[in-house]
Amino acid sequence: MNNNFHNNVNNLGMYAQQQQQMNRVKICVRNVQGLSMQQLLNFVSKNARVSLMDAKFEGNTIVGYVNNRQDAQLLNKWNGVRLGNCNLKFEIMDGQNSSPHTQSTIMMLKNFLYRRYNPQQKMLDLSSLHNDQELVQNGLFSSIATQSKMFPALMKVISQEPQLIIESVNLAGNNLKDIFGITTLAQTIPNLKNLCLANNQISAFKSMENWRNKFKELNELLMLNNPITNDRSYRTEMLRLFPKLVMLDNVVVRDAAKLKSVFSLPMQIQQFFFETSELGQSSLDFIKNFLNCWDTNRDQLLPLYTPQSSFSYAVDSSIPASTVPESDQHPSFGYYLSSSRNITKISSEKAVQQRLYMGQEAINNSFKSLPMTKHHLDDDPNGYSVQTISLSQLNGFMITLHGYFNETEKPLNTNNSNSKNSRNKKYSHGYSSSTNKLSKKSFDRSWVIAPANGGIVIASDLLTIRPYSSNSWSIPKPENPTSTTSNTPASGVNNIPTGIPGPQPPIINQQGMGNPLGMQGGINNTNQGINPLNNGLQPGMSATGPINAMNNQPGPISLAPTLQLPPNIQANLNPIQLDTLNKLHLQTKLNSEYTYMLAEQSGWNYDNALKSFQSSINNLPREAYIQ
Amino acid sequence: MNSSHNFNIVVTFVKKIMAHLDEPDASKLNSFLNLFNQSSSKVIFNGTPFNQAMSFIELWSNSIVKTNHLLSLLDFHEIPGTNILVININGKVRFDESGRDKNGRDSIIPLNNTQPTQMNANMANRSIWGPYFGMSLQLVIDSAIFRNNTVGIINSFNYNLIYKPEDSLIKI
Repeated sequence: MNNNFHNNVNNLGMYAQQQQQMNRVKICVRNVQGLSMQQLLNFVSKNARVSLMDAKFEGNTIVGYVNNRQDAQLLNKWNGVRLGNCNLKFEIMDGQNSSPHTQSTIMMLKNFLYRRYNPQQKMLDLSSLHNDQELVQNGLFSSIATQSKMFPALMKVISQEPQLIIESVNLAGNNLKDIFGITTLAQTIPNLKNLCLANNQISAFKSMENWRNKFKELNELLMLNNPITNDRSYRTEMLRLFPKLVMLDNVVVRDAAKLKSVFSLPMQIQQFFFETSELGQSSLDFIKNFLNCWDTNRDQLLPLYTPQSSFSYAVDSSIPASTVPESDQHPSFGYYLSSSRNITKISSEKAVQQRLYMGQEAINNSFKSLPMTKHHLDDDPNGYSVQTISLSQLNGFMITLHGYFNETEKPLNTNNSNSKNSRNKKYSHGYSSSTNKLSKKSFDRSWVIAPANGGIVIASDLLTIRPYSSNSWSIPKPENPTSTTSNTPASGVNNIPTGIPGPQPPIINQQGMGNPLGMQGGINNTNQGINPLNNGLQPGMSATGPINAMNNQPGPISLAPTLQLPPNIQANLNPIQLDTLNKLHLQTKLNSEYTYMLAEQSGWNYDNALKSFQSSINNLPREAYIQ
Repeated sequence: MNSSHNFNIVVTFVKKIMAHLDEPDASKLNSFLNLFNQSSSKVIFNGTPFNQAMSFIELWSNSIVKTNHLLSLLDFHEIPGTNILVININGKVRFDESGRDKNGRDSIIPLNNTQPTQMNANMANRSIWGPYFGMSLQLVIDSAIFRNNTVGIINSFNYNLIYKPEDSLIKI
């Protein structure tokens, strides 16, 4: 009863709202250059005494809605009025009652789409539209004009319905003479796999040319019963237009296996590679601590460098193609260029020597000449990719990290370029401000690390700075989740009893307070948590393991035995997240479920998680802890 | 150490590696392989490791279409007390998107009437370059390079594509 009552009330409210929406009239205001939205809205409500709702800029005009026709006419009286430097021009969009009419047309098209959509086959059947009773009754075929508008309108409606996942479209039997009326299909569903255009009157290649370099995933095309299929070059042309076409008119035209091998790399890109699991653990620790210091206090890093250590950075100023997602097409490298050691760009021997920094003092000065930064390893672990290999020549290892950072502040000192700057001023007026603006950058950084005196030193540190772009290793979310679960064997490796967690490599067993990276806490805890289980194992049994050519999975992170995650959850976590979980678990003694909740709620940031743990420690139930 | 001409040697060597990667002629693979340390080189390509340089070069030659590399950055450090230097490289690479592999074979199933052969012959060697990907390569090589010795000097080779254009036909 109660529920019904509430439902009715809700329905009433919705109905009233709908009624109101139906009566709204769309208004367009022209000549608004230089005006702010607020100025216009104030003016309208003060003078015309109507309110303009949902107003937004559309290019040089403002478009919004008023409640009803009377309001629209009130507003219309102010046509030509002066506001600021503008002669405002108000226009009532579309004819009488157009707004409710358009609304109902959209509703009708939407219903039609869902009636014609088959979610199992991911297929949209748009065949024989002129035979569709509903469309005909609604007058969509009453004139040529409405007919030609219908398809683009349909495409628009599709693009606003993201839950329609369409792989196949059937446009058979629509009396099409060319594809001009339906070219927008390529913009709306660019990844279409199957298309049927059979039983139409398409006769010329010319119109098909519009789809060249579109539909890059088109696998099957049906054009039977079109005059074009009789052309001698039909097959060749279709193969040329659609590079991944396999089936043409029910005939196999390309060898699918060969096609796949030509257009894909033999293995999928992997975000992480660690030669051994120990190297994985220690390189992640190193990277996290290093970047944390690099972002907050670079002085703390100096003890890691010796008089023999070298550091240099270089700018790769080549701009990524504009089709690289999020790529910065106008990067500024003002703070970096004067000391960039990009040897492909330097011809002077002297400059090559000068831009190599050796020993703490030179390295320190160089660090201070670089902008202050913020890396996002904790809150965006997918933004980073790591490879670690051992280097037998110095009994150490090499870590390469690819990722991005935000520039947060200008450099502490601008690298005796003060004098340079003043000298350069006359050459660069109006220029330096834009070349020195702070922004997001992508980078690649390689550290060669050697053990020394129970700790580690950085023998070499090479940094590339390049324009920001999205990376190549992140897999977009909507990919079918089965692919990750089918790859889960690696998560089995993480299940502790296999004993992968060997002894900690010597490099992180640092002693005393001289540890500049603060690599204590979590790691020592890890030792305590894991070693008891490992007593029976040969030390180093996996540390010397050869590179496993078949193991495409990121190096497994050793998890504490008390941290047991459901395999499906574990499979979706990356090594950095697993590592954070593990440390939190050991630090807080929370059970697996609570540790996961804590990590998730803190955005996978260890420090934040620990803070929120400490603040809520009194409210946690007993069962939250390891029993 | 006399490094006055060292950087030129390194630049030349890196260009040579790029040229090897771009070389479609399978008969020249051996000279590429000879650069790698036969007993202990480590090769990583897009995060996947290879036991031997040989298996990587075979895969590169057989399963990846023609490439075109453009070197845009190079920097290197000699590590004192060792005989190695670390080279850091960035560049761009584009792939042949003509649909043909390095041997000019495509996936098109020939028609019974042998009409398209003539066109295929004309097109066989023409690459249709796709958009550029970003690449990052780290090499650990033996300092024997400065004594004009390039045989077996690559100790490790870490090649990763770092950004990808959306409009490429190539899936990575």
